[in-house]
Amino acid sequence: MNYELNYTIGSIPLDKLKPKKVRKNIELTLWERLYIPEIIRGMYITTRHFTINMIGFVFPPKGKKRKIFTVYYPEEKLTIPIAYRGRPVLVQREDGKEKCVACGLCERICPALAISIVGGERHRGNDMERYPVAYTLDMSRCVYCGLCEEVCPHEAIVMSDEYIGLAEYDRKNMIYPKEKLLVPVARLKDRIEYVRKIYGKNNYQIPSTNNQIITKSQ
Amino acid sequence: MIAELIEAVAKILFIFGVNMGFFAPILGWVERKQSAVMQDRVGANRADILGFTLIGLLHPLTDTIKILTKEDFIPAGANKLFHTLAPFISLTPALITFAVIPFGGQYEIFGHRINLVIADLDVGILFIFAFASLATYGTVLAGWSSNNNWSFLGGLRAAAQMLSYEVAMGLSIIGIIMVYGSLRLTEIGAMQENFLRWGIFLQPVGFILFLTCAIAENKRVPFDIPEAETEIVAGYFTEYSSMKFIMFWMAEFLEVVTISGIVTTLFLGAWHLPFVSSEKLLSLFGFAGPNLSIVLLMLTNIVTFFAKIIFMIWLQMTIRWTLPRFRYDQIMKLGWKILLPISLINIFITGLVVLLK
Amino acid sequence: MTDLAKNLHTEHMVINMGPSHPVTHGTVKFLVTLDGETIVDFYVEIGYLHRGFEKMCENSTWEQVFPYTDRLNYLSPIINNVGYALAVEKLIGIDTPERCKYIRVITSELSRMADHYTNIAASALELGALTAFLYFVEARELVWDLLESFCGARLTSNYIRIGGLKNDLPDGFKEDTKEVFKRCRELWVDVDKLLTKNRIFLDRMRDIGIMPPDEAIAWGFTGPCLRASGVPYDVRKAQPYLVYDKMNFEIPIGETGDNFDRYLVRMEELNQSMRIVEQALEELPSGPINVDIPEYRWQSKDDIYTKIESLIFHFKTVTGGIRVPPGEVYFPVEGANGELGFYLVSDGNGKPYKCRVRPPCFPLTAAMPRMVKGALIADIVPTFDMVHMIGGECDR
Repeated sequence: MNYELNYTIGSIPLDKLKPKKVRKNIELTLWERLYIPEIIRGMYITTRHFTINMIGFVFPPKGKKRKIFTVYYPEEKLTIPIAYRGRPVLVQREDGKEKCVACGLCERICPALAISIVGGERHRGNDMERYPVAYTLDMSRCVYCGLCEEVCPHEAIVMSDEYIGLAEYDRKNMIYPKEKLLVPVARLKDRIEYVRKIYGKNNYQIPSTNNQIITKSQ
Repeated sequence: MIAELIEAVAKILFIFGVNMGFFAPILGWVERKQSAVMQDRVGANRADILGFTLIGLLHPLTDTIKILTKEDFIPAGANKLFHTLAPFISLTPALITFAVIPFGGQYEIFGHRINLVIADLDVGILFIFAFASLATYGTVLAGWSSNNNWSFLGGLRAAAQMLSYEVAMGLSIIGIIMVYGSLRLTEIGAMQENFLRWGIFLQPVGFILFLTCAIAENKRVPFDIPEAETEIVAGYFTEYSSMKFIMFWMAEFLEVVTISGIVTTLFLGAWHLPFVSSEKLLSLFGFAGPNLSIVLLMLTNIVTFFAKIIFMIWLQMTIRWTLPRFRYDQIMKLGWKILLPISLINIFITGLVVLLK
Repeated sequence: MTDLAKNLHTEHMVINMGPSHPVTHGTVKFLVTLDGETIVDFYVEIGYLHRGFEKMCENSTWEQVFPYTDRLNYLSPIINNVGYALAVEKLIGIDTPERCKYIRVITSELSRMADHYTNIAASALELGALTAFLYFVEARELVWDLLESFCGARLTSNYIRIGGLKNDLPDGFKEDTKEVFKRCRELWVDVDKLLTKNRIFLDRMRDIGIMPPDEAIAWGFTGPCLRASGVPYDVRKAQPYLVYDKMNFEIPIGETGDNFDRYLVRMEELNQSMRIVEQALEELPSGPINVDIPEYRWQSKDDIYTKIESLIFHFKTVTGGIRVPPGEVYFPVEGANGELGFYLVSDGNGKPYKCRVRPPCFPLTAAMPRMVKGALIADIVPTFDMVHMIGGECDR
């Protein structure tokens, strides 16, 4: 196929691009045309895997390194990283009340419109504090994006590591009321710490210190 | 007379039991489990009785229960008679062909002569081909009678493919018949007592040709175009459900066993152990007395035969899980333009050698 | 013979392939007219996965679009995130920190690898070779584990933000990547041996779905399919974005533009992607990952928790959306399937006035009839696999 390229590609001249030709020898040799050698080579590979895995089955190797990739799910569970976004939960203070102040930012940012909040006020000692009278999370709509956790100004909603038992036979059961969402703060310490860390000040670059350009385009 | 009757019934029950009771269900398990191990997976292992999974061996049982309780569905517009008949036509030849395959030699125990084959026909190979070609009808009828475009395409493909490969398969065997000078499978088996006289050494090309054609006849990957699921959904059995559906699978699995049996008998020395002749074995078993030693010899031969069959099954499964499938026209080309000439050349050369010797 | 052909009454068979057919993954329907096994006529019917992405974007703030972009090409979601973020950043006119750029390159390339693994694996599967499929799925699984370790999800990554990233790479990422790539290369060799020289696979792929370079350009091909036709066009080289101009990699190109070339190009791109990731990890600078411009990037939690001005401003940007200056912009990135472009219009409000996506696989799918007409019904399988139509991206 002789096709003259009559256009330039971006700013780079074509001769400097040096594309790599992947199709080297299209013509098969007679040996390869015979089907059999290649079939035997393929069978050698599959048989190699077969043998290694059979040995692995009969004499299970010690330690975690195994060739079989399957995880026996209910018995075995994956170790999920701290970044994992599971079911969003509300943080419960030590005194049993919810930490949420019903500011409504999560409700606003939720791209799936899964959260709805009814705010109210109550006494806390001598002070008044805002709290969610009702906090409903529609788990059938939630997309686990984690934006609620990111915008929350009060560390009140975080993504937990729970991913089990979220399926239901009835959609009504998937609308989680406040009581179902509350999780004691002690269990969420790691995640709160993690969120604080990823939004730490050291992750932000002040533009003036670097030669970063901000141009208002209008 | 009664003894012969008992012998015949016992042999039929044995073969039928081994095929329907052991191979047909077990091969489903083997296919799942072997493919799993080849592909770095675990495979079916969840069905259990009281917590014992028996490495997934209970799955054939649970599958049977599941299949039997499914709705048996005949689509509107289908030809009810042929739609029902097709799976039976597919399954019967797969079962019958095993009648002429010897699973052991001839033995004399307590003055009674036992020939370990159900029907010792002098046209054994012809009988196999005659019945194997009947299986085509099952497939074609299934494809036609379902009144479904995919089934129809599958039936067409099956008809073309199976008829084409019938020719090459028949011719690939001629070489071995010329070498051994017999159509009787028991005689061919008996002649392979010497390891170096095994069919695979005398007819290596014939072996490859026959195996290829047999897999093509059986419509398994890489020759599974009549049921190529990504092209024509499930081909000729798209409209089948319940037990009729599983009968096609059973036919396929039993054909795997039958092919293994034929290959073992013709090419892999039948029931003989390599390098160990029957006399040696007899002298080895001499401690058990004249009759019992023959019984032991018979058992050894049967075990050898089935071990070879199991090896051939393993080989076929490996092929099935390694290769992609052909295209329709490529299969035709392979059958008519490559396999057929090669088998003719093979016959010619074999004939020359046999003549000049 | 001609007499027979004339007198034999035959008629064409019209069959509906899809929308739920084993080969039409991604939910698409083919209306195929067959003459025996030969395709006489072929129509592609798309739209079964239309979710109204572009309309949804108009009703959500600029930040809220990120979870939606995950669902475009769901096999390489981070590339979509990067494309959208870069388009918005171009519209605003901000430049992200160096480390952010490197991490964006790394994550994009990992996503591209996952995409190509899926593509090649699925093609092998649909040609009947299930074993090759599972070997590559294992490789993809490893890559996804890597992605999960920093973005928190395997598919719905939602990782990139305007003016930065959601979070930094975890500790020990470099070592993990090395280990994963070692296994990936082993599996690559296995699959290469199983497929590339296997004559059955070769015959199925070779000389099927040929697209000459001039026609490929005319049809609007981009990505591996265009490169398979011999045109070395790659957005990463043509208009280098992020730090691709500092990376040392080659563009694999094919010769004839058939399915086999597309397969080879993808196989080679896997290697090139690994090269890029390794280089980027080698040169990865330390430092911050976000710009500290509260108008466009949500502020640090340190500020929000301690300063009332920051808190008020945070409320303002989240509820009203960031105020992207009015204007319009088109920004292409090299998606796994080709040029993935975002065309954004802003009227200065908190929401995109228009968010249009140039899906790379739409022109490819449109050219399906051109590629398979006259071929056999079985040729639809490799051609459609190599076109790699993603429903989410094509229908949006």
